[in-house]
Amino acid sequence: MSSSKKSSDGKSSEIEEAVASLTMPFNKILLTSSDGESFEIDEAVARKFQIIAHMIEDDCAGKAIPIDNVTGDILSKIIEYAKKHVVEPDEDEDEEAKKKLDSWDAKFVEKLDLETIFKIILAANYLNFEGLLGFASQTVADYIKDKTPEEVREIFNIENDFTPEEEEAIRKENAWTFNG
Amino acid sequence: MMNTESFGACLLLTLPEDVFTVISRFLSPSDICNLILCGKSLCALVDSEKTWLVQCEEVKVLPLFEIVQWRSGISSYKALCRFLVEVVKPLVGIWVQQNPELGNVVYVMPGFLSVVGCRIIPQKVGPLWIQEGRVKWSPVFEIICGFDGSTGFFLHGRDKEGSCLYPGFVMGIEKSCNLLQLEIEPRREKSSCNEIERGASRKGEKEGEVPFWMLAFSDRKNLLNIVTSHVGIHVVEPLNGRLFPTSKDDEAMLVERRTMLFKMHKFGGKWKNMNLEEDDQLCYNPMQLDINEMLENLGDDWFFDMEEELIEVTPTESTHVLGESSSSKNTAPSSSEIRHSNRQSFLSSGDTFGLSLKASYSELNSYEGWPYMYAHHFSLYKLPVKKFVDHEVEVYAGLWGGTFGWPAGKCPKSKPEKSLYLLMLTYEESEEYNERVLIGTKILEGKRYVRRPNGTAMFIVNIDTPTLEPFPVDADEIDFENSYSGNGIAEGYGFRYPGSKPGSLFVITNDLLAFVWQETKDVITLQRLNLAEILKKGLGSCVPPLPPTKNFTYMRRSYINEFTKSSTDPSYSDE
Repeated sequence: MSSSKKSSDGKSSEIEEAVASLTMPFNKILLTSSDGESFEIDEAVARKFQIIAHMIEDDCAGKAIPIDNVTGDILSKIIEYAKKHVVEPDEDEDEEAKKKLDSWDAKFVEKLDLETIFKIILAANYLNFEGLLGFASQTVADYIKDKTPEEVREIFNIENDFTPEEEEAIRKENAWTFNG
Repeated sequence: MMNTESFGACLLLTLPEDVFTVISRFLSPSDICNLILCGKSLCALVDSEKTWLVQCEEVKVLPLFEIVQWRSGISSYKALCRFLVEVVKPLVGIWVQQNPELGNVVYVMPGFLSVVGCRIIPQKVGPLWIQEGRVKWSPVFEIICGFDGSTGFFLHGRDKEGSCLYPGFVMGIEKSCNLLQLEIEPRREKSSCNEIERGASRKGEKEGEVPFWMLAFSDRKNLLNIVTSHVGIHVVEPLNGRLFPTSKDDEAMLVERRTMLFKMHKFGGKWKNMNLEEDDQLCYNPMQLDINEMLENLGDDWFFDMEEELIEVTPTESTHVLGESSSSKNTAPSSSEIRHSNRQSFLSSGDTFGLSLKASYSELNSYEGWPYMYAHHFSLYKLPVKKFVDHEVEVYAGLWGGTFGWPAGKCPKSKPEKSLYLLMLTYEESEEYNERVLIGTKILEGKRYVRRPNGTAMFIVNIDTPTLEPFPVDADEIDFENSYSGNGIAEGYGFRYPGSKPGSLFVITNDLLAFVWQETKDVITLQRLNLAEILKKGLGSCVPPLPPTKNFTYMRRSYINEFTKSSTDPSYSDE
């Protein structure tokens, strides 16, 4: 809880501010998705989205914040993740908690298809939710890691528009990346 | 036609560039290449400067600000990544040799668009030597990187007139190399640069061609001496001692030095008046050597080589070309004949001969953290430092430096400096105790005359069983975290067979240790070292190198500090 060190000059807005700061942890923020779905969340959860944290700092966060770029289904998933990750356990201090959270993360992403994960990435990028952006990015990277071009094309639906000669030339040029 | 089944266009292409960059951080260079191979549509996104900048960071041999600094001297982040992956990463670390017994530590680290080998000299240090970066070192070699990523090798050394640089080839660096060898590489006039560099190793040898390492020791030594005496180029400022950036340096000087090195590599002795072209590759043109002259110098005489404890037997039959004698099944060729024919074969396999550096992996046995070394090979050996994934596992592994005496900082007024000891700490499974031991292997000793062989274990303690001993000497307010009991080196049978006596290791912090001998209460305090950081402070002194071949590998067994002998010392010839 922050304490205001300003000398009180009796203005009512300052008192309001002081009262607001005392009740800060219990503040609710309302987020509205692009397709009109509303979500009421604790301020602490909303602060995981840097874009909203800045709005709160700058005092432009009203009660309701429209999230124009994100649909309701994606926003609900992001909020679900944010709620679980409000407090990140320290790996050194609480190994148990970290393991439990990692396990929850794995299950969370297991149920999602690739298209949804991409939408989550774009939304997390827009909201500036670093933790989820990193986690979702790693998930996508796992779809690519150690796979052959054929496998990656299959997963991501990419057309092979190289001629065999072009492909051979690229392999040769980049051979240094492969030598174990 | 695009398959518009489940998701329509490729999902990866929906990502803005900086988001793809976040994903690419989790991928390896080969994953990036596989993505490029998927299709033309992905190339622009994947094969970009941003992606390769991240890959450079992920190699984890160079901090970001230096990566960006180096970029100005190379064509792309991709080319820089290749240099970091293929040259810098495999080579950085601690390389050692048995002789001189006081210690021969070559620390390899990034320079400026180069990787450099600096020898830490046996020395005494003051109490603030780490904070102030006051360490004596000497240049050994450099591998520089050209604008297009091509590489060139320089050996440092000295002749009668002063310090010199000796240009040569980089003959292939294996990613998991632990053996660094100095060789002579024969070349046919017509072979191109591309064949020479880039790991175009001599594996595809033709029938009858003899590689350098198969030649007799004296032939190899003589060849190295002959070639270096011909290719040496005297150095002028700022080439002296400016192998890596320090806080005193500015980029302009480093760039100027780099240009000078390029010219030396390309033009040899006459480099001062020459100009480089825009797209000059680092392509070393080895010098032509008169074969007859070389044969004359090598000769067929037997010799009694005390230095290397190698005795050649007088040939009982006159030496002649192998071809004539091998036809007879009953007479196996004598070692002298084999030696002669190998030499002939080697010398006739090229028109020109150049100095070369090769880094390879070899199955090396080791004892208590010290590898068994091949005698009579111009090699340096890498001491492995395991990168611990789980940071709890090998907390104290790595390079430590220390001095004797307690408290550590205090020195009697009469002796402001103390002998510096460098130790490599490694973990090993002990069969005896069925748990791990921590071994402190001595790799450098700062005394005038060495007390125990290079590579002996100063102490061995049971690292899995903390004991809670009180510190046996008055320790004021110091809080010790833990202690581990074991043994420390002691008098044994002669120089080569040290004994051991009980002692304990005390942990002050993760980066500060003290080992105490139980009986004598001698204490050695050790601090974890980041040598690159220390050297880069720029306050250390650069000691002139030895004659080139010796400067790479000092063959002769010696118990004193060979690196600070005066250049006017008459025993200091090229031999």
